Amino acid sequence: MSSGDSAREQPRDVVALAVMTNRMEGVVRKMTNTLFRTARSTVLNTARDFSCCIVTANHEMLVMAESLPIHVISGPDVISRWLRHFHPQPRRGQAFIHNSPYHGNSHAGDHCIVVPVIDDEGRQRATAIVKAHMADIGNSEPTTLMATARDVYEEGALIFPCVKIQENYEDVEDVVRMCMSRIRVPEDWYGDYIGMIGAARVGERELLKVGEEVGWDAFDRYVADWLDYSEERMRATIRELPAGTRTGYDIHDAVPLRGVEDGVPLKVTVAVDPESEEIEIDLRDNPDCLPCGLNLTESTAVTSSLIGVFNSIAEPVPRNTGSGRAVKVLLRENCVVGIPVHPASCSMATSGIAERLAGIVQRTLAEFADGLGMASTGPECPPAVAGLSGRDPRHENAPFVDMMILGNSGGAGHPHGDGWVTNGETSDGGSMMRDSTEVLELLRPIRVWSDRIVPDTEGAGRFRGAPSLYIEYGPVDTELEVLYAADGTVNPALGVRGGQSGALCRPAMRKADGEIVALEAWARVVLQPGETIISISSGGGGYGPPHERAVEHVLHDVADGWVSVERTREVYGVVLGEDGSVDAEATRVRRAELAATAHDSPAAGAEAAAEARAVHGRDDDAVLGLLSPGPQA
Amino acid sequence: MRLAADTGGTFTDLVVEDGDHVRAYKASTTPHDPAVGILAAIGLAAADAGRELGDFLGSIELFIHGTTRAINAILTNTTARTALLCTRGHPDMLLLREGGRTEPFDWSYGYPDPYIPRALTYEIPERIGSQGEVVQPLDEAATVAVLQRLAGDRVESIAVCLLWSIANPVHELALGELLDRHLPGIPYTLSHALNPTLREYRRASSAAIDASLKPLMTAYLDSLEGRLRDAGFAGRLLMVTSSGGVVDAAEMGAAPIHSINSGPAMAPIAGRHYAALDGNSENAVVADTGGTSYDVTLVRRGRIPVTRETWLGLEYEGHITGFPAVDVRSVGAGGGSIAWIDGGGLLHVGPQSAGADPGPVCYGRGGSEPTVTDACVVLGYIDPDYFLGGEMELDAAASRSAIAELIASPLRLDVHEAAAAIMAVATERMVQAIEEITVNQGVDPRSAVLVGGGGAAGLNAVAIARRLGSRRVVIPQAGAVLSARGALMSDLTSEFAAAVFTGSDGFDFERADAALDELRARCEDFAERNGSAEEAEIEFIAEARYRHQVWQLDVRLRDGRLGTAEHVANLVEDFHAVHEEVYAVRDERAVVEIVNLRARVTCPLRGGGKDTLVREHGHSSSGMRGVYFSGIGKVNAAILRLEAMAPGAQFAGPAIIESSFTTIVLNPGASAERTASGSLAVLPGALGASESGRRSSEAVG
Repeated sequence: MSSGDSAREQPRDVVALAVMTNRMEGVVRKMTNTLFRTARSTVLNTARDFSCCIVTANHEMLVMAESLPIHVISGPDVISRWLRHFHPQPRRGQAFIHNSPYHGNSHAGDHCIVVPVIDDEGRQRATAIVKAHMADIGNSEPTTLMATARDVYEEGALIFPCVKIQENYEDVEDVVRMCMSRIRVPEDWYGDYIGMIGAARVGERELLKVGEEVGWDAFDRYVADWLDYSEERMRATIRELPAGTRTGYDIHDAVPLRGVEDGVPLKVTVAVDPESEEIEIDLRDNPDCLPCGLNLTESTAVTSSLIGVFNSIAEPVPRNTGSGRAVKVLLRENCVVGIPVHPASCSMATSGIAERLAGIVQRTLAEFADGLGMASTGPECPPAVAGLSGRDPRHENAPFVDMMILGNSGGAGHPHGDGWVTNGETSDGGSMMRDSTEVLELLRPIRVWSDRIVPDTEGAGRFRGAPSLYIEYGPVDTELEVLYAADGTVNPALGVRGGQSGALCRPAMRKADGEIVALEAWARVVLQPGETIISISSGGGGYGPPHERAVEHVLHDVADGWVSVERTREVYGVVLGEDGSVDAEATRVRRAELAATAHDSPAAGAEAAAEARAVHGRDDDAVLGLLSPGPQA
Repeated sequence: MRLAADTGGTFTDLVVEDGDHVRAYKASTTPHDPAVGILAAIGLAAADAGRELGDFLGSIELFIHGTTRAINAILTNTTARTALLCTRGHPDMLLLREGGRTEPFDWSYGYPDPYIPRALTYEIPERIGSQGEVVQPLDEAATVAVLQRLAGDRVESIAVCLLWSIANPVHELALGELLDRHLPGIPYTLSHALNPTLREYRRASSAAIDASLKPLMTAYLDSLEGRLRDAGFAGRLLMVTSSGGVVDAAEMGAAPIHSINSGPAMAPIAGRHYAALDGNSENAVVADTGGTSYDVTLVRRGRIPVTRETWLGLEYEGHITGFPAVDVRSVGAGGGSIAWIDGGGLLHVGPQSAGADPGPVCYGRGGSEPTVTDACVVLGYIDPDYFLGGEMELDAAASRSAIAELIASPLRLDVHEAAAAIMAVATERMVQAIEEITVNQGVDPRSAVLVGGGGAAGLNAVAIARRLGSRRVVIPQAGAVLSARGALMSDLTSEFAAAVFTGSDGFDFERADAALDELRARCEDFAERNGSAEEAEIEFIAEARYRHQVWQLDVRLRDGRLGTAEHVANLVEDFHAVHEEVYAVRDERAVVEIVNLRARVTCPLRGGGKDTLVREHGHSSSGMRGVYFSGIGKVNAAILRLEAMAPGAQFAGPAIIESSFTTIVLNPGASAERTASGSLAVLPGALGASESGRRSSEAVG
C-alpha cells in the first residue's frame, strides 16, 4: 500500500506538529536562559520575574514555555496588534520598548522588548517578546507596585506605547537617554535592558533559522495546526465538564484612599456549556475603575480568568490563542476588572485583584463538582515582597533600588494534592524563583534573620493550603526604605468545598529595643539599623473537608512540624496517643463529630475573616516574636 | 595492565587495556553485591587471556571504578538517617529551596519533601555576616544541648550548613570540634569544606546528600577493596568522579557526593578521544543512548564542559547537588522510551520508559506499550534473530501489532509510517537536547562531530546528524562500553578555589595574584604527591560577571597571573568576548567583577592505550534485508558485520551494520568507512527533500 493515500486523508501532519512544538519551546527556553543569566536586578537574575514568548504575525500567542502565566497568556497578542497599528512597516534590526497598560501590557512595571521577526523579503513572520518586571521604572516612589497611586500621573512611571529603541541593531540613544535620566540606578536598568535585548535577539535569530530550514509556509501551516490542536484539546476538556452557571465572590482588602476604604467587592459569573464546548466568564458586573493602583489591565483581567480555568482542569492544555478561543471573557471599559481608561492607575494589575479574580474563578468551578477547581491562593504581597531602596555603605554609599521576592508561599489545596509551598502568586503558578538569603545579603546591605514556615497557618482541608512564611529582615549599618502593599490582612485566602481559609497576612516590625509593633497593610517604612520588618504571608485555602484528609498525610504534617497535635485533633479529627501513634477509635469518633457539624466553606466577607482569625489562633501580636529571636538575641 | 569497571543498572562493563590492545567484556550487574559482578567480568577477561584470576589481577597496576551505588541508594531511599545543623532562623533551606516549577498548571505531582526532614533539622544559635564578620557568636552551651537532643534521635550521619560559612568558617569548624567531642564516630560533612559556594540552599543540599552517603559508601569501598586485594589485586584503586576525573578510593569515601553523577561523566572523555582520532575535530557532540535516557555533552575545543547545576531527579522537583559535574543533558528518550498518544491525538515518545523489565513489547516479558526499540524492529533496523549478537530473540509480530493498534490506527497511518513517526519524534527530542547544549552556548552544531555511544546510538545517529546538519558521525567500536573506555582515558585531577572578590574599577592586584600563587602551590603539591610533577598541567579560571549580575561565566586566565593592569585588561576583554559569545550581547559600560579564582590540576595517567583494531575473520557481508525508510519506503539494504570489516573499507547506504552490542542504520545517501581504530566514520548526507517533505508516494513494497 502506498502511504501517500493515508497522507491525503490526514488533515494534519501530527509528526511535524510534535517536532516543531519541541523546537519552538526550545527557542523560548533559550531566550529565558539568556536574560536569567545576564540580568542585574535580583528580581530578574534570582526571582526570574520575567517571561519570553513568540507571537505570530497574525497576533496569536504561539508559545510561552516556562514563562509566568500572568505575563503572557493574554497581552502579548494585544501588544502585537498595537505594534502593527503604530508601526505598520517594521524592519529587521528594530526593537521596541513597551509598557503601556492601555495598550495590552500587564502593568507599567513590566518593560517589554518587542522584536518583529522579518524574513529576507522584508515580511514580518512573527514577534519575539521579552517581558520583565523591572527593579524601577521611574515611579514617584521607589517601587513598581503602588496601590496608593490615584492615577497614572501620581504613579509617575514613564509610559512607552511601542516606542522604537533599536534601529539596525543599534540603540536609539534618545530613548535610552530618557530612561537613564528618569529611572533610579540607571546603570542597572541599562544592564537589565541589555539582557532583554540579548534574549529577544536570540529568539529572533532562532526563528529566522526555523524559517530558513523549514520554510515560512511550513511554519505558517504549523502555527495554524498547533492553534487548532490546542483549541480542540480545550474544547474536549470542556465537553467533559458539568453544565451550569454559577456566581462567585471575593473582597480585596481596603486601601486607605477615598472610594476604596471598604475594600473592593468582586463578582464573577462562570457559565460552562459542554454542548458548545465553551466557558464564558462575565466580569462586567463590577465597580468602575477606582482611584488607586489596583485596577486590572485588559491583559491581566483576561489572563487571571484563564489562569483560574487552567488551574481547575486536570488535563494540561497548551496555553495559547488556540485554547483561549474556547473561553470567552466578557469585559467592559472603565471597570476595575476590565479595560482601564487613561489615566486610571494599573500599578498593581499583576497581583492584588488579579490574584483574587483567579481565585474566584477556580473556587466557582470547584462548586460544579468534586474533582474540579482549586481553593484560593494566599493574597499578595506580604512585606517580604517589597520595593527596597537605600544606599550601600559597603560600596561608597552607592544608591540601590530592587524588588525583593522572598516571603510568599500560599499555594492552594486542589483535588489532587496540597498547596505548592513556594507557589507565590496564582499568577505565576509557582514558576518564579525565590531569593537566596546569601545573594540578597551580598547584593544589598540587608540581613535576613529568619526564613521559615509557620505551623498551623495552612487552610485546612482534605488537601490543605500551603502554610504562611515568616521572614524577618532589616538593614545593616544603614537606613533601608521598604515599600509594600499587602492584601490579605483582613480577607483571607478562601477554602472551597468545605475546606478552610488560610491564615491572614501579618505585617509587623521589631524596634531596636525588641518591641514588636503591627504595621499597616500598605506602608512606606524607613528602617534604622537594628530595626527589622516581620513579614508573615497569607496561608493558602484548603480543598474539601479537613476530616477527610488521609490519616497518613496528617501524620506527616504533625511529625514534621507543620501542624500542632492540638490542631490535628480539633480540625483534622486525628487523635494521637502518648507515643504519637493514631488512636483509631478516638479518631473515628472525632471524625464522625466533625462530619456531623461540617459546613460549606465560608463565602467572602466578615464571616470568612472571622473564621481565619479564629481557627489560626494568631490574633496576638506578641506571638509574632516567638518564632524567631531576631537581631537582639 | 589497566582495568576499568563501570557498574550500571543492567550490565557491568569492563575494559582491559594491555599495551596497545583494548578489549571489552560485559557481565550482569549483581545489585545485592556488586563486587560479584565485577569479579565475574574480570573472570571473563582472565579466561580470555588464558590466565588464573589471581595471577591476572596481580598484574593490574591500576583499577578504575565507576559505580551507580550512591545514586541507587538515593533513588531507593536507603541512605543514612541524616540530621541537618543550620543557622538559627533558617531551618527550611532544604524545604523552601530556590522556588521554580516547569509547568505552572500541572498539579499532578506534589511539592518535594526536603532531603532531610524538618524533624531532623536543628537550629544553632550563631550568625556570620556577608563580609565574614561574626554577628552573633556561636553559643556553645546551647549547641551542646542541641547535640545531646540529637544523640537521642538515632542519627547516623550529620550535615552542617551555616550561613556565610564560605566567608568565615569559624562556626562550622567549631561545630565540627563539638561533634568530634560529643558524638564521636558519627560521620559529618561541613558545607564550607565540601562545597564553598554561594547560595545556602545549594551548599546545604550538597552537605546533606554527601553526609547521607558517607556510611554506606565507606562500607562499600572498604568491602570492594578488601575483596579485590584478597583475590590478588595489588595495584591502585581509583574512583570515577561526577566531574570526569578520578580520585583515590579513600578520597571518594571522604566526600562520596562526587560519585553520584559519575555514570555519564566518562562517556564524553572517550567521545572527545574518538572525535579527534576518527573525526579529526576538536568539537564533538557526544551522545550516550541507553534504554531510558539520551545523555549528550558538547566537547568544545577539546574541553569537557562542566556545570554547577546538577540535580538528582528533575530540575525543581529533585535535589540540587550544588556541585560541578560534566555537563550532560539528559532527555527521557532511549530504546525503551514508550510511544503514546495524548487526548488530542498528538504523538509523544517518552519520558516514560519500559526499562529493562518488562522492556519493549518485542522482549515478550509482558510489555504492552510500544517503544522505540519496537519501532526499530518494525522498520527492519533491528534483526529480531540477531539482537545482542543473537543472545536474545525478539517477537517482531508483537511489536508490529502493538504499534498498529496503539499508534498507527488512531493516527490513521500505515504501521511502517507509524513506526517511522515514533523514530522522528524520538529523534527530534534528541536533537532538541543537542541544540540546547550547542545553540544555547553560541555553538553551531554543524561544526561538531557527532559521536554515538551506548547500545542504541546507531539506530538514528544518521537521522540526528542530518537534522542537525552535522557533516560527520563517529561510532566507536567500543561505543557500547563508552563510559568504561572513557575511565581509562581520564586523568587524575583536582580543583582548588579561592574566594577573591574584586572589580575592574579598583582591582586588588596584590590579593588576586597572591591567591593565584597559593592555588599554584596547592596544585603543585597535589601533582608532587601523585608523582607526576613533571607532566602536570595547571589551568587557572576566573569566575567573572558584570557588576550586579549574580551568575558567573568562567574565563580562562591567559597566563595564570593577575598582577598587572595588562593582565586585568586581558581578563576584561576575554570576559566581554565570552559574554557576547554565550548571550549575544556585551556591555562595555559595566564594571567586570571576579568572584572566585579556581585552579585545576591535571596529572595524566594514560599509559599506551592506543586503540588497535581487533578484527574478526569471516565475511563482512551477511546478505540483504527489507528496511523501511520514511519518505522512501521499503528498500533492500545490505546487512554488514562491523567486526569483520577491514580498515579503510567503505560502504554506502542503505545498509544495516551489526555488531555484538549495537546496530547502526546507514540511510540511503549516507556512507561509512571503517577507521584504523575500528570506529565507523559516517558521512550522513544531506536531509533529503523527500524526507523533509515526508511521505512521498513513491513508496516501494
